[in-house]
Amino acid sequence: MRYCKEIFSGVFLVMALLLLPGQVQANGDDYIAIRKEGSGKIVLVLSKPAASGGKESGWAERLDVESRSGLDFTGLFSLIPPPLNVAGPRGSSSQSINFGALNSVGAEFYAGGAVVQKSGNVVLSMEVYDTLGGRPILRKTYTGKESDLRSIAHAFCADLVELLTGRPSVFGSKVVFVSNRSGFKEIYMCDYDGHGMRQMTNTRSLALTPVLSPDGQHLAYTDYASGRPRLSILDLAGGKRRSVARSGNSIDPGWRSNAEVATTLSFQGDQEIYLVRPDGSLARRVTNSRGIDLSPSFSPDGNKMAFVSSRTSAPQIFILDLQTGQTKRLTYNGSYNTQPSWSPQGDKIAYSTMEKNGEINIFTINTDGSSLRQLTSGSRQNESPSWSPGGDMIVFTSSRQGQKKLFVMNAAGGGQRRLLQLEGEQMQPSWSLRLK
Amino acid sequence: MFLLKGLCVPAMLVLGACGCRTDVVAPEPGQPAPAPVAAPALGDVFYDFDQASIRMDAAEQLSQNAAWMQEKSSKRVVIEGHCDERGTSEYNMALGERRASMAKEYMVNLGVQPERMTTVSYGEERPFAAGSNEEAWALNRRAHFVEE
Repeated sequence: MRYCKEIFSGVFLVMALLLLPGQVQANGDDYIAIRKEGSGKIVLVLSKPAASGGKESGWAERLDVESRSGLDFTGLFSLIPPPLNVAGPRGSSSQSINFGALNSVGAEFYAGGAVVQKSGNVVLSMEVYDTLGGRPILRKTYTGKESDLRSIAHAFCADLVELLTGRPSVFGSKVVFVSNRSGFKEIYMCDYDGHGMRQMTNTRSLALTPVLSPDGQHLAYTDYASGRPRLSILDLAGGKRRSVARSGNSIDPGWRSNAEVATTLSFQGDQEIYLVRPDGSLARRVTNSRGIDLSPSFSPDGNKMAFVSSRTSAPQIFILDLQTGQTKRLTYNGSYNTQPSWSPQGDKIAYSTMEKNGEINIFTINTDGSSLRQLTSGSRQNESPSWSPGGDMIVFTSSRQGQKKLFVMNAAGGGQRRLLQLEGEQMQPSWSLRLK
Repeated sequence: MFLLKGLCVPAMLVLGACGCRTDVVAPEPGQPAPAPVAAPALGDVFYDFDQASIRMDAAEQLSQNAAWMQEKSSKRVVIEGHCDERGTSEYNMALGERRASMAKEYMVNLGVQPERMTTVSYGEERPFAAGSNEEAWALNRRAHFVEE
């Protein structure tokens, strides 16, 4: 955890220097000083948006609650209550914000604003200040319908997180997963925090290993509706479903880009990984090795593919460079390494190891094989890691409470907690990129 | 169905324990039990952990299955590959398919036409025996033969 803080400090300094506008750069050293003394989190004062009128006050309340729970979920922030008289009157400018009071309570950033009604729409105007310089670092207006208060709040949270960390946020992302709650294993989808769950398949047989395309337009999964496992690709806008019309079995898809999904197919006898287009047609074969080749996961540029192979006997993770055609073994620790997931930042691969005692644990490793790190231990089976859009969190399956359930943790293994309170078993989660 | 599976379990254990390999004929669930010395009957075969290779006892059974196929030349079978619950489910899906294909390949080598056999993997999704112990696991690592 301590390492995590130090890394975070360093990352934050770099981000602050690289990404924040010139006006903030001069204060990079100050941020670091605060970071080392504090909890390792960004200390933020978030004021409830100012509002006049009963309806607007209700909106302000809801926007505040959604923003707070959203920012809290990320684990990046320490939200402290506003000191008395922090802000001036409604529609305030920076001159009327009491930065001295904010500094004295240790706040690094202050966010506040106002919500009004314009032609029936909700209009939220937000401002974010760095409290040391007292300068605005974000000013933005968010407009939407009254029924969209949650997504309006999350749009602000997304901008705030992206500004302060330089990484995509969880807001607007989805998690797809498998649940047996209906008596059959079917695919479900929910928001990053478990809200808005809906059932995506009704095969009444088996539907497994769901994964969304980078643009969120297509859902790929394996189902047994035809009596054998086949790759299905569902167009989420049109509702049309395509299958790969080849004999044999299909296992565990992973998207390379919006235009190609890779999966294991066996129509030529041996199990090999192929690239398939969203219309179900075959693009090309990418592996050629006797035995199991499985579970493709691509680097963000689509040029490299991590996968599982039994070519050296027990299952290990390999990386195939699609440009040179060369394959390199990545994992040497442990004798049963499967389920690779390439981080959206491109630097790390998460995977699971089955230990000799039957425990399954999640590890991360740099793509060059360095910096192996164990994220779970002593809690039965922990599997199917999948990264958040910013690479700072991981969703996974754990049987630590008996049945398999979905959990999240930060990228260093901290803050492990349940994602969903849902009956039955949940498994094989896959986190989408942030969907616009 | 459950009753037959239940009967099958102790039968397998006894046969396994005495090392008797010649007559390892697990009765097909839903089929009447075969007479002691009778015509060849279709039966399931079993595998070692994380392996898809054909064991000695499996070879005996596959020879019987091949004889059955040759006797009933109009019949087709589905060979289902199954795994125990250990390990990860995607890898078990792949392993289950290899188990089914190895069984098929063995029977092709004994002269059965490949087009009469289809393979499908269920990985760890459809276990035969409940329980998290070696007895259950041993029964769940199998190629299950089903008449089409």
